Amino acid sequence: MSQSIASRLARGSARQSEGGGRSPLAKVPTILQHVYIWIWLLIFVMPFLATLAYSFEAPNGGYSLEAYDFVKGAFLDNLRYSLELTLMAIVGNLLISIPAAYAIVRHNVPGKRFILSTLNVSLYAPAAVMGLSLLITYAYLLDFLPLTHSTWGLLAAYVVGTFPLMLLPIIVALRDLPMVYEEAARTLGANRLQSLFRIELPLLGPGIGAGILMTFVIVFNEFLVTLFIAGPSNQTAALRVYGLTRTAGFSQSTAAAAATMQLVSFVVVLVFFKLVGSRYLKGTYFA
Amino acid sequence: MSRVQLISVEKRYGQTLAVTDFSADIADGEFVTLLGPSGCGKTTTLRMVAGLVDPTSGTILFDDQVINGVPTNKRNIGLAFQSHALFPHMSVAKNIAFGLSMKRKPKREIASKVEEMLDMIEMTGFGDRMPGQLSGGQQQRVALARMLATDPRVLLFDEPLSALDRNLRDTLKYSILDLQRRTKKTAIYVTHDQSEAFAISDRIFVMNQGRVEQAGSQLDIYLRPATEFVANFVGDNNAIPGTIESIAVGEDGQRTATVSAGAFQLRGLALEPLSVGDRVLAFVRPENIEVVGGDIRDEADGLVTGTVEQIVFEGPTVRMTVDVAGTPLNVSASGVERLTLLDKGDKQVTLRFQDVSLVRQGAES
Amino acid sequence: MKEIPVPAAMLEAEIEQSKSGRFQRDSLVGFGLLTPAIVVVILFSLAPLAYLILVSFTSESTFFFNNPVYTGGNYRTIVDRFMPHVWTTIRLATLASIFNLVFGFPFAYILARKIRYRELVRTLMVFPLFGPLYLAFGLFYVLLPNGPGAPFLDFLGIDAAQLLFSEQMTVFGMALFTFPFMVMNVVASLANVDPTLEEAARTLGAASWQTFVRVVFPLSWPGILAGFLMCYGWNLGVYVVPILLGGTPQQRVLSLTLQQKAMSQFDYGLASAMGVVLMALAFTVTWVSLRFSRGALGA
Repeated sequence: MSQSIASRLARGSARQSEGGGRSPLAKVPTILQHVYIWIWLLIFVMPFLATLAYSFEAPNGGYSLEAYDFVKGAFLDNLRYSLELTLMAIVGNLLISIPAAYAIVRHNVPGKRFILSTLNVSLYAPAAVMGLSLLITYAYLLDFLPLTHSTWGLLAAYVVGTFPLMLLPIIVALRDLPMVYEEAARTLGANRLQSLFRIELPLLGPGIGAGILMTFVIVFNEFLVTLFIAGPSNQTAALRVYGLTRTAGFSQSTAAAAATMQLVSFVVVLVFFKLVGSRYLKGTYFA
Repeated sequence: MSRVQLISVEKRYGQTLAVTDFSADIADGEFVTLLGPSGCGKTTTLRMVAGLVDPTSGTILFDDQVINGVPTNKRNIGLAFQSHALFPHMSVAKNIAFGLSMKRKPKREIASKVEEMLDMIEMTGFGDRMPGQLSGGQQQRVALARMLATDPRVLLFDEPLSALDRNLRDTLKYSILDLQRRTKKTAIYVTHDQSEAFAISDRIFVMNQGRVEQAGSQLDIYLRPATEFVANFVGDNNAIPGTIESIAVGEDGQRTATVSAGAFQLRGLALEPLSVGDRVLAFVRPENIEVVGGDIRDEADGLVTGTVEQIVFEGPTVRMTVDVAGTPLNVSASGVERLTLLDKGDKQVTLRFQDVSLVRQGAES
Repeated sequence: MKEIPVPAAMLEAEIEQSKSGRFQRDSLVGFGLLTPAIVVVILFSLAPLAYLILVSFTSESTFFFNNPVYTGGNYRTIVDRFMPHVWTTIRLATLASIFNLVFGFPFAYILARKIRYRELVRTLMVFPLFGPLYLAFGLFYVLLPNGPGAPFLDFLGIDAAQLLFSEQMTVFGMALFTFPFMVMNVVASLANVDPTLEEAARTLGAASWQTFVRVVFPLSWPGILAGFLMCYGWNLGVYVVPILLGGTPQQRVLSLTLQQKAMSQFDYGLASAMGVVLMALAFTVTWVSLRFSRGALGA
């Protein structure tokens, strides 16, 4: 490849320079490039801002916080349940992903590539397919386990669907982590566990943090798989919002719930960026 | 404080031999250097002593106890890494304290030891800094302090200075030697830099392709190379092919051979069991060739004449290429009289060889 | 100084090889560490998907009775009656992904090469990632005849009422959700193109468009393609956007239809068959994208 580029460049050199810009987009005025970015930034936040604005609209004109009575009331249980589930999914993902990342980066496992792509299968299956397949599996194939309409069923679905998003940044971080730190700890008398908890896990922090963030954003806002496998007694907040758009239609309380969900998600993202930056989000879901 | 022995240690990676037949008996308090080009197996040997690599065969002993199979963290060694390997998320003090806290020493003891170590490396008051806030030299000094804090039996150095710039290397290598002398600990030092090896070692093991080529003092290695590889690897050398014409055994048992090298003859020390008629390479270092003033022509005294082809003034030395009967020789002259050589271009000079060593031609790797 | 990389590389090679030396114990430990992940994936991903295929060959919901009736009839039904749904799914996904490519590439290029407020862009770009549900809901409100977007649309001479429940809006809503995937893939691949190569091409006399066609594009196209296919994969699973922003024609997508078949009509056989078709489409796209983004997922 590099050779062909070299020859292309060589051919290019025979020509005189045409046009004075520095980059392919040089002829587009810089200001227009910024405008283009800003238009998109506006589009990104517009649905959220519109939802937020609508949630403050009072039925008889003017503004009120009335719609948030619903969020503080009936919706709060769903919100709490969602946060609990998300937390459990994060813990589950960590317990699965950290050992798996070690196996893949530090151990010689035959068929590594194949295993890794198999682990990712549920990441690529459309949510509706995941939901339906888990619905029938819970009801029939695994009916000896308390999975149907249960927290455990939801948790299993979330873990299998999101742990690859935890696994990949940890793999990247572990690969970036030179072996010398582990070796130095060993020569200084640390055993494997001591070195894991005192040296490696702290140094893998940003990678693990990236995985936690992604698990949070996905699980907290997941409604489609949930729609298939949740029962009336375990409605997550996101599923409740979806249900409201179908039943309550376009009401202020729906808007308030949707705005709350996005606000919570966004605050978590901001806190994360502040704490660990976005380095280990690169090449993953976010970046 | 330990005697370290390696007995016929070998390490294979599949078909590749990384280290083979490595034997060494390193005395308590001795400073030994493994010197060789990259890939020669020196680092693998060190890592086997550290327990980070398991030998394929052979035995490693600390104080007459076999330590094969003893995990690294139970060997009580100190290892200085090429990159300082300071834990980036811990302060200088925490780094130094790490080994002691692994040994579950009381907090107060740890704190006083950390202070003592910081004093020793002349970095008192740096305890709260993070490694990233230190200069390269300071980082390496902290790494040394961290390694010494646990009072290890053996000090291991894996090219600890190679990531630093030249000035720092020069000062730090003497700091390392000083620390080792003060603590009287056995040390094994791996480097590809011969000036480092010469400056600090009691004994040097020159390694190549997984084997020890020669083990000995600096003078042995430098003046009496045992193999062609050592002669070429350590310092500059002129290799003159020739045939042994006669061997004279002196009173002290030294065998001095007279070698015929085409149009001229030279004399050298025959270390190996060489015999008359053997094809040999005679090695003579550029700085061991003396340019003799005047126009003495007395070949019997070991003098040869050649034509100066090139002269380069390098400041403290003058480098010349002299054609002696078709063999180009590098000559390096220092001292005040070197300046008188500068106008010798295209002229005849007379040379005297000193410390010529002989190695059987093609006998080696 | 030149020596430094060499021993480090050697060391790595040694470590790599030393692994093969202690192959058996080492890989056993490795498998042990992978066990939780493998068990979870088998129980909740592979087995359910295999089970889905099995159910897709049963008639209606007979699978849940004692004597399931095995038949290929569900697939025949799809061919006979639901091909428009398959095509709608593909058409919407294609249009949305092309939209992403056309508008996402310039965005990514400007982001990677031109601007300094990248963190801000990255931060605001997370909003679409919270999911298509909120996006569609928000867009719906913006487009309402008396909503906040109305004056702006009037100004542009666009009839908001016509835009709502249209294919254009559905595609836009889908594309908005997947836009960040496209952008980040392209940004990542542009990061692999050393800007000095572009400068080198310029100094060698290549015009800006020539630099792009001959240097930037050839070096970044695997990422561009990977981004396109990734968006495509997500867009195939579209569910909620047509409900809120589309009309009846746009609601004929596989995810939505299979959900209705399963949960309203309890025709698990047909729903599963649709799931299998959708899964086959998505996995084909994923497989192709993995081939082009080789190494991006590591190991």
